[in-house]
Order: sequence, then C-alpha cells, then structure tokens
Amino acid sequence: MNDIINIKELKKEYRMGKITVPALNGIDISINEGEFVAIMGPSGSGKSTLMHILGCLDTPTEGIYSLNSELVSKIKKGKLALIRNKQIGFVFQTFNLLPHLNILKNVELPLMYAGLSKKQRTSTAKKVLSEVGLGDRLKHKPSELSGGQRQRVAIARAIVNNPTIILADEPTGNLDTASGSDILSIFSDLNDKGHTIIMVTHDPAVAKRATRVIKIVDGLIQDGNIS
Amino acid sequence: MAISVKENLIVGFSDFWSRKVRSIITVIGIVLGTMSIIVVLSLVNGVNAQTMKWMMERGGLSKISVYRNWEYRHSNYVKDYFTWKELKLIRSLIPEAKYFNPQQQHWVRHSKDDKDYSTRIYGVLPDYSKIEEWDVQEGRFISNFDIDQSNDVIVIGTTVKEELFGNKDAIGAVITVNNRRLKVIGILAYRYMKSNGAFGNENAFSYLNRQTFVPLTTMIKKGSGSDETKSFTLKAQDAASAPELREKLNNIILNLRRGLPVFRVESAKEEAEEMAENSKMFQIIFYIISVISLLVGAIVIANIMLATIQERTREIGIRLTVGARRRDIFVQFLVQTILVTTIGGILGIIVGLSILDIVSKFLEMELVAGISMIFVALLVSSGVGLISGIIPAIMASKLDPVEALRYE
Repeated sequence: MNDIINIKELKKEYRMGKITVPALNGIDISINEGEFVAIMGPSGSGKSTLMHILGCLDTPTEGIYSLNSELVSKIKKGKLALIRNKQIGFVFQTFNLLPHLNILKNVELPLMYAGLSKKQRTSTAKKVLSEVGLGDRLKHKPSELSGGQRQRVAIARAIVNNPTIILADEPTGNLDTASGSDILSIFSDLNDKGHTIIMVTHDPAVAKRATRVIKIVDGLIQDGNIS
Repeated sequence: MAISVKENLIVGFSDFWSRKVRSIITVIGIVLGTMSIIVVLSLVNGVNAQTMKWMMERGGLSKISVYRNWEYRHSNYVKDYFTWKELKLIRSLIPEAKYFNPQQQHWVRHSKDDKDYSTRIYGVLPDYSKIEEWDVQEGRFISNFDIDQSNDVIVIGTTVKEELFGNKDAIGAVITVNNRRLKVIGILAYRYMKSNGAFGNENAFSYLNRQTFVPLTTMIKKGSGSDETKSFTLKAQDAASAPELREKLNNIILNLRRGLPVFRVESAKEEAEEMAENSKMFQIIFYIISVISLLVGAIVIANIMLATIQERTREIGIRLTVGARRRDIFVQFLVQTILVTTIGGILGIIVGLSILDIVSKFLEMELVAGISMIFVALLVSSGVGLISGIIPAIMASKLDPVEALRYE
C-alpha cells in the first residue's frame, strides 16, 4: 500500500513567555491512501495540534512530516498555502463558512485561490454541491441553512479541489444525532470513493465508522498506529 | 496558481458592498475632502483670473501708472503734482515709452438743452485711448491737433450720451460744461465686465461709461486754469520691458522730488506677478490644509480598517485554510481600502464640479477646475487609501492561521 502520510518523531512545543509547553512529544504515524482514520483523545491531548500540523496550518518544532512524498516539514510557513490549497480539505466543527458569501461562492473559494477561471469554478462548485445534495440552494447564505446543510457545504468546499487528504475536526460536534449520522455517511461514501479521511473526534460512535483509530494521550500515541 | 488583480478587485468590491454603511460613511469623508480641494482651489484660481482679466481690460501688462503716494505725508517743500514743464521733461527722458498720458480730472455738470448730468471729466492726451486700448464706437477720439489748438471738443461715454441725448444723434452736437460750449466729436465704446461682488450681476466697468474726455490743453487753459497734474499713465514697448521702465521712471521722479516718495510708480506686470506670488502662497496654504485634513481622514480610515480586520480575523483564518496566500490577503484588504477612497475621490470630484457650477452661476464668475486639479484630487484620494490601507493589510496578512481560526 501507498504511504500518503509519513510522520516520524514529530514534536511540537509552544512558547508562552519563558515557559515552553509541549503539545506533541514525538509521534510516529503512517497513513495509507484510502484509509479512514479517527484520531481520538481527551482534550489537551494534542490531537488538535496534530490536526493543524497535518493540515499545514502549523509547523512542527522537530521531526519529519511527509505528505504525498513531499517533505512538508521542510517547507517554510509562507509556502504552505499551496499545499493547503491543493492537497488538503478541511472540515471544522463550527463549519467555518464565510457568512456574507452564498454557498456557491463559499465552495468556489479554494478554486479561486487555485487560480481557476470563474467559469471553471462555478461549474465545478455546482457539481460538488449537487453531490452533497445542495444543488438547489446555490444562492443561499450559510445563515439560511440548517447545521447539517452547512456542514455539507463545508464538505463540498473541502473536496472541491480534489485534495489528497480530507481533515475533519469534530465534524459532528455541533450537530444533532440525525444530521450527525448523515454527515458521517457522507464521509463514509467519500472514503468508499477512495478519499483518504482523517477525523478528530472524542465520540466512540463516530470512531466506529473509521477503518482505524489512533489514540493520543499527553502528546503521545497510545494505541492504534498499526496499518 | 495566482489570484488575479481582477479577482482581487471583485473580492474587494463585494467586501465593500457587504459593509455598506461603514463604506458609505468612509466614502462621504473622502468626498468632502476632495470636494473642498476642488472647490477652494478653483475659487482661488477664479478670483485670480478675474483680477487678471480686469488688468488686461485696463491696459494690459505693459501699463505703468504714476499717482500720488497717499502713504507719504506731504511736506510743503516738495510739490505733490507735476507741472506741464516737468511732464515734458519726463517724457523726453523716457523715449522708450510707447505712449504717455498725463491727466487731470474734475467733477462737473454737463448740460444739453434742459438736461443735466454731473460726472467726472478728464483732461487727457490722444495716447489715453492707446494706453487703455479703448476706442470710440462713433466719431473720433481727441487728436494731436486738438491738443495743439486747445479745441473745444469732448468725447463722451455711452451713459453720458444716453442721459443727455437719449436716442438722438450726439456727434456734432454741442454740450455746455462749466459755461463753455464743447462740440461732441466721439462716443467711446461701451465697456462691460461682469462683477463678482456681493451684488452679483453688475457691470464692474459702469464708471467708465460715465466718463467724459477733453484735450488736456483745453482743460488747463480754459477750464481749471492750472497745469498741476497729479497722475499719468504710460505704456512700455511690451510687458517684458515694463519693470525696467518703471524702475527708471521711479528714479527720475525721485530725483525731481529730492528723493522723497511723493509718488507711486506701479507696473501692471509687477502687480500681476505679485498677485500670482500671493495666490501661489494661498494655494500652498490651501494644499497644506487639504493634505492635513486628508491625513486625518487616512488615520480614521486606517483605524476603521484595523477594526474591520479584527472583526474578520476568523474570515482571514478560513481563507488561509483553503489556500489563500499572505499576498492574497494583503491585496484583498489594500484593494478594498483604495477602492473606498477612490470611489470617494471620484464622487468628490463630481460633487465639487457641480458645486462649482452652482457657485459660478451665483457669483457670475467663471470657475473652472483644471484637469490637473482633478488629477491631483484623484491621486490624493487613492494615495490616502494606499497610506491608510497598507498597515492594516500587512497586519491582516501576518495573522497566524491557527490563531485566526480560534478567534471568536
């Protein structure tokens, strides 16, 4: 199988004045293409930090992170925008849509930063939005949609650039059970279609959907780093 | 992968539009700033143009005037007038002067049959018409022959003609001035210039139309009986040589009056230059005031932009997450600020021009904003956007994506 993510001895420390707070204490993970991995752990365990590093929003203090055979940990912070744009799709607990843009524009956003023409953007975004069942709501603002629908917009935005990995941070945390399981089904479907999914959660029911569970405690992997 | 300038403009514009109230208030501020630049500078220019026009109408830039210096307290040891002999001497010392006209003036009653009209009468030489560039519309002006013979002739302004003759023919008719019968030989051309005074639509030159003229020799010999002449005007070959001639003439007159400044000698060209100099100073002062007020505007806008960026920290985080580069964020916010101020600038120019239109109708005065002024206003307003937008835009682009996403 093809290693899409390879992490070795990854460390992350935060400086708060004179004190250094360790968040990740040396982590090794490898994830194959097409996996659906759940990362679990109590709050403060470092799972969000790991998520940010995986998503190239943050850089590790030490260690190696290679994504799609590219040594991301060596790339400077300023150059990571390209990786975020092409390789990573983010889904957040709080949806993180731009409230003043309609959902079509929201989904077009990554394509705009990728430099696609207006025409290409609109047709691609429309297609992806109808895949998540929102093809008839293109002109709606996020505030006019339910939580489940908003998360579907966020998923559409995450996959519109056809990224290497989809990162989801508690994607069902703000949803009721019914729409939460809808969203999880979408993730399962995406996984069936071959997308690699990494999901942070503390809900064991959510984690059940995953093909593998990685548990983190105090910045260390406790369990599950087996392919 | 790059997001184009056009794309950034669209993003900036939709940002502008999605925050209408704030954007419009900012625009109004800039509108007021640029509008006042246009209006004030055009007013200054308009007044200058008006004064210049007056000067050109009254003999142009090569004219030199000599008159009693009222700032100098007259002493009994020196004369505060020129005698006929002195005038002849002065004329002979400045052969380079093209025209030369000493003049006396009195206030007298002019009568024709049962009609009376009291007005100012001037004793002049034929050169008067040349210096003032003012000819007759009918008949002829005073000639050298009239001067030599001290002829009993008179040239009258249009108002005098109307008052004494109405619609009847005046040329060849005789009017009585100071018990002396004078033949009307000419009627001077009607003079008109729009007045920009508080009373609006008045003829600034109406006093000229009320004047009458006789040969200076006739006035001296048959009228006043005195050759005391208190003022004279002359014309240099051209405007360029006028200051030099003025200097020379001033020295001659000082020599004739023991070095005492009894008379003033003024050249229209130098007055015009002085006026231009003064107005340049005014312009600089107005520019400084405008620049300061626009700088205040820039600081306010920068402040608003900083507040906006704080409000939109999360949005910036989201944009960074989906692949926006720091440059994209920077350009987005800078474009937005420049857009606001440039729109303000354009509207300010439009509003300023319409105000000028109204004001110039009201003042009966030609007020035109030069192309350069419009260009400056536009440049300044965009510049304000650049200055006030650059620091907030840098701050926005420096945000840490993780921090920005966490921002509530």
